Amino acid sequence: MNSKKGRISLTKLEDGQTAIIVSVQGGKMLTKRLADLGITSGKVVKVIRKTLFSGPVQVEVAGSRLVLGWGLSSKILVETR
Amino acid sequence: MTDEKKINIVLAGQGNSGKSTVFNYLTGLHQHIGNWAGKTIEKREGTLFYKGYTIDVLDLPGIYSLTTYSDEEVISREHIIHQNPDCVINIIDSTNLERSLIFTLQLLELECPVILAVNMIDLAKKKGITIDFKKLQDILNAPVVPTVASRGRGLTRVIDKVIELKGEKAGHRIHRYGKEIENCIKQLSELLVDINLPYPVRWVAIKLLEKDNDISRLVAGRSPQILEKAGQLIENLEEIHGHDSSVVIADERSHTSSQITREIVKITSNRKLSINDRLDALTTQKSTGYLFMILILGGMFLSVFSFGNWLSGLFDSVFREWHTWWNENLGTAFLSALGWSAVESVLALIQIAFPYILPFYVILYLLEDWGYIARISFLMDKLMHKMGIHGKGCISFIIGFGCNVPGCLSCRIMESKRERFITAVLVTLVPCSAVSVIVFGLVGKYVGIWWALGLYLFAVAVIFIAGKISSKLLLGEPVELIMAMPDYKTPQLKTILYQTWDSLKEFVFIAAPIVIISGVVIQAINLAGWMPAISSFMSPVTVTWLGLPAITGILLIFGILRKELILVMLAAYLGTTSFSDVLTSQQMITLAIVSMFYIPCVATISVLWKEYGWKKAMAICVLEIGFAILLAGIVSRLLNFVF
Repeated sequence: MNSKKGRISLTKLEDGQTAIIVSVQGGKMLTKRLADLGITSGKVVKVIRKTLFSGPVQVEVAGSRLVLGWGLSSKILVETR
Repeated sequence: MTDEKKINIVLAGQGNSGKSTVFNYLTGLHQHIGNWAGKTIEKREGTLFYKGYTIDVLDLPGIYSLTTYSDEEVISREHIIHQNPDCVINIIDSTNLERSLIFTLQLLELECPVILAVNMIDLAKKKGITIDFKKLQDILNAPVVPTVASRGRGLTRVIDKVIELKGEKAGHRIHRYGKEIENCIKQLSELLVDINLPYPVRWVAIKLLEKDNDISRLVAGRSPQILEKAGQLIENLEEIHGHDSSVVIADERSHTSSQITREIVKITSNRKLSINDRLDALTTQKSTGYLFMILILGGMFLSVFSFGNWLSGLFDSVFREWHTWWNENLGTAFLSALGWSAVESVLALIQIAFPYILPFYVILYLLEDWGYIARISFLMDKLMHKMGIHGKGCISFIIGFGCNVPGCLSCRIMESKRERFITAVLVTLVPCSAVSVIVFGLVGKYVGIWWALGLYLFAVAVIFIAGKISSKLLLGEPVELIMAMPDYKTPQLKTILYQTWDSLKEFVFIAAPIVIISGVVIQAINLAGWMPAISSFMSPVTVTWLGLPAITGILLIFGILRKELILVMLAAYLGTTSFSDVLTSQQMITLAIVSMFYIPCVATISVLWKEYGWKKAMAICVLEIGFAILLAGIVSRLLNFVF
């Protein structure tokens, strides 16, 4: 469904790579919770690093560093520049 | 008038903003910590006496927004609206300005007087972040005070502002949304004015558009027409934006905060890798992170227990003299012996609290204040997910190694009831300092240190399997980890001591009374001469199934009070501390395993009772007793092949 060119899930980014958030594919609660943390479409997100075996992803967004669970990160679609 | 000299203020802010530090600095020892009515959420209140004013300070829970996800958020907004504080001090992490401002925008919508304490500006400066406070003040039309709470800088200016603003109306500039949303707000506001709700009209309109459950229900009760109108407007909004209306509004707030941040923040010199970045890389990247974690936690446990054994030995020789003195001067008759059992309970608690629990928490909170504990949550999240909880649960486990009581209480950091319960159950299986005394005093000393360490690994495996099982049994989706990653910073002694005291206090005030009372009761049963009957009653389990001496039946009953009593009573009953003369290696390991898992101690049971009700508390006890006995019996049989 989301196979548009350049659009990938956040978890597909490499460590240190930057991208722009296109959309959050979660439910309303999740999307809103992320928006309250400054994670919304149009924002620049940088993957600081990922852990072993699909663990959480450490990101930098809206000037702050957050850790997001893998399942959640995979629901965030981004576009690489 | 005394009333004129009384001020109520509320501290609000996101996690890691330094809110607790501000609270502790302002109120010092004039603190009262209780629970919010009917909730297991901590309510921290305190008083500050300043320039002739009595200022009551309330510390709201650290939250990320003011919607209704969690009880904390509901409590916070209800308190601000209904209790009408003179002023809300919004503590903002200046190194995370953009995220913090999203919360500030929501706070301002409540139309209460707000003062912004932009905290940790020393760290921001170090990161090359320059903030135009004057401009921020102008944009929001709210007082802005830069602070460094850890050193108390700027806090008197905040309080001076509070006094200056007392009695004045808020008049902050409230954030305007996009044209479509503002149009909806306007239409709803016009209708809402007539129904006279105890909330600001604009705020109610926004909440209706956000489909806030509580507010929608409230409005529906007064005027179903307004809710219907809101429904139409929402439908229209969602058609235009293609998203849920609540998301559209949250999005706009988030973008406004970006915009404000862009206007007031200048970032210079971010080329070089900072010390923080290097440390962060070292402690979280795949190649070195896990190694560091093992080194840090291992070092922590090793140093705590070697220090603890030394100090506890010192205490032991002193207390032994006291006991001799007691027996010589007060006799060993029934009442005197009962009296000693009460004294002895207190002494034994001291012997656990000071040598083990105190240093344990000092180091733990040192690591937390430094910023390391969040890294552990990050590294362990995947593993914790397999147990149906997320990385933050790991923190409760580590606290549980000190004492299960604060460990179980700390499960409140988990977001959902389901996860809170799973974490609490698993924490009761974590070997606390008292259990460690048995493991090291018995197995470590007489069988070998590797066997003792092996038992720890065994405990970890058991916890993991128990977690897997309970996450399967308790249905529900695991909550995903969302956590702020704090920067490393220089730990502050004051913060560490406050937090240590907080945890230790739980041990002192919750655990101690129960332990002392039940200690006297059990001693009375013992002195009445009923123990042999109990131990022979239990012998099918202890002797036949576990292969232990019959006496262990009594020990296990005493062990419910405090686990380390198993070792103390063993020495008392056998009349020797060289346990290898009376127990085989196999028996020592079996006894240690039973002690580890068989039941949480009374103090932990009482916490489970308080937090989850007596049914669940009892269920945990019964399950764990059955499980421990089954497991230890099997291990004992397997050990036949080894020894």
